[in-house]
Amino acid sequence: MSLWENRRSVRILAGLAAFNILLISIQIPRGAEKSFFERSIFFLYSPVLRAVTGAARGLGSLWTNYFDLRGVRGENQQLKKEIFFRNQDVRFLEARIRLFQTEVGIRECLAAFRGTIVPARVIGADSANPYQMIILDKGSLDGIGKDMAVCDRFGNLVGRTIDPVSLKETMVQLITDKDSSVSVVSAVDGLTGSVTGKSGAFCELRYVLASVSGGQLGEELLTTGYDKIYPAGLRVGSIRSLEKDELSPIFRRIAVVPFFRFNTIDIVAVLTKAKGGE
Amino acid sequence: MKDVLRAFLATVLAVLIYSLAGAAGPMFIVVPNAFSVIVLYFSVRRGEVFGAFLGTACGLVQDAFSLGVFGVGGLTKTLLGFWAGFVSRRIDVAPFFRNGLFMLVMSVLEMILWVLATAVVRRESLNFHGGLILLQPLVTAVLGSSLFAVERRFRARGFRGA
Repeated sequence: MSLWENRRSVRILAGLAAFNILLISIQIPRGAEKSFFERSIFFLYSPVLRAVTGAARGLGSLWTNYFDLRGVRGENQQLKKEIFFRNQDVRFLEARIRLFQTEVGIRECLAAFRGTIVPARVIGADSANPYQMIILDKGSLDGIGKDMAVCDRFGNLVGRTIDPVSLKETMVQLITDKDSSVSVVSAVDGLTGSVTGKSGAFCELRYVLASVSGGQLGEELLTTGYDKIYPAGLRVGSIRSLEKDELSPIFRRIAVVPFFRFNTIDIVAVLTKAKGGE
Repeated sequence: MKDVLRAFLATVLAVLIYSLAGAAGPMFIVVPNAFSVIVLYFSVRRGEVFGAFLGTACGLVQDAFSLGVFGVGGLTKTLLGFWAGFVSRRIDVAPFFRNGLFMLVMSVLEMILWVLATAVVRRESLNFHGGLILLQPLVTAVLGSSLFAVERRFRARGFRGA
């Protein structure tokens, strides 16, 4: 029997294809905003992701936890936890020392900052391109909301939380995503611009005028806080190359290597309160 | 109703494989495509209509776990499920190598369609992860045909046991 003789199948195929095309087309005026339907699917299936990752990790750690130096393991985990918070403190202090002149100011800022970190585990990555998005095992019940900065265990910027944020899971847009943009300043020469991802391993620093001199290979880029999402002073990446932009001669083409690495983002810190510029 | 439940469970299974792959490392998400493996397997087992429905479900779930355009995965996997189910009813894809070749062809066609659809909708060049993504159809085909081989072995053992 040919396909066209089986009209029921053809009708179903046409209906499903039309449904998907409709889903694609309704996003065009919406831009990056996620539809209710898409959010519902994420809410429905993300607990599965969380459960499976948790079970896999649980099984993996069974041997090490119960048969291999159980006490040492516990102590090690405690130390890792402390190092995690210390790293965040150090990075934040470095940034604040530049901003605050008095010791009192630094102490007040640090006291407030300690309560704003929510450690979270990475339970998934973008199904189409891992450089775009990761999924965390903490959600709105843990105080996480949209547009919060996320750092790796060394205090390097990873990205920001985006919709959908479910009760126990959150999506994070990585700084390597092509739609991501972070306002930065270079540590030595003070070049200001916007770090944008390319959905690959590297990013680029945009909007630096060709007439502006300065900038060195390996120079660190730090957040400025102007975008009101990322707190000022977080480490973003370093300059990889500086060239003339042939396509847009008024700007320089600056390639950036992000500091975070995929193998160090198994645990991340969500900065729940500290917004940019504060 | 039974088919809807089966499709839902198969989608959960795809999320399960995707989660395990993600836990192993981000690059394991690119190679293989867990959702395609599930769609191919069940389409061959249950035919084009079930394949199309399952393709839509798996594709949309895959899109929900991505920042890409919602619906592109749904569309490509709907077509994958339908055609895999339709063609497998008309030619014999039971032997291991033929099964593998069939799945490879279907996976390649799905990838071409996905690349074209993404390029049209998002108007951007895709990240091929240093060519790693080109291995996706091959690994998907190997895994899919291995699933059938394992199933056949279990069934044969069941018959011997009986």
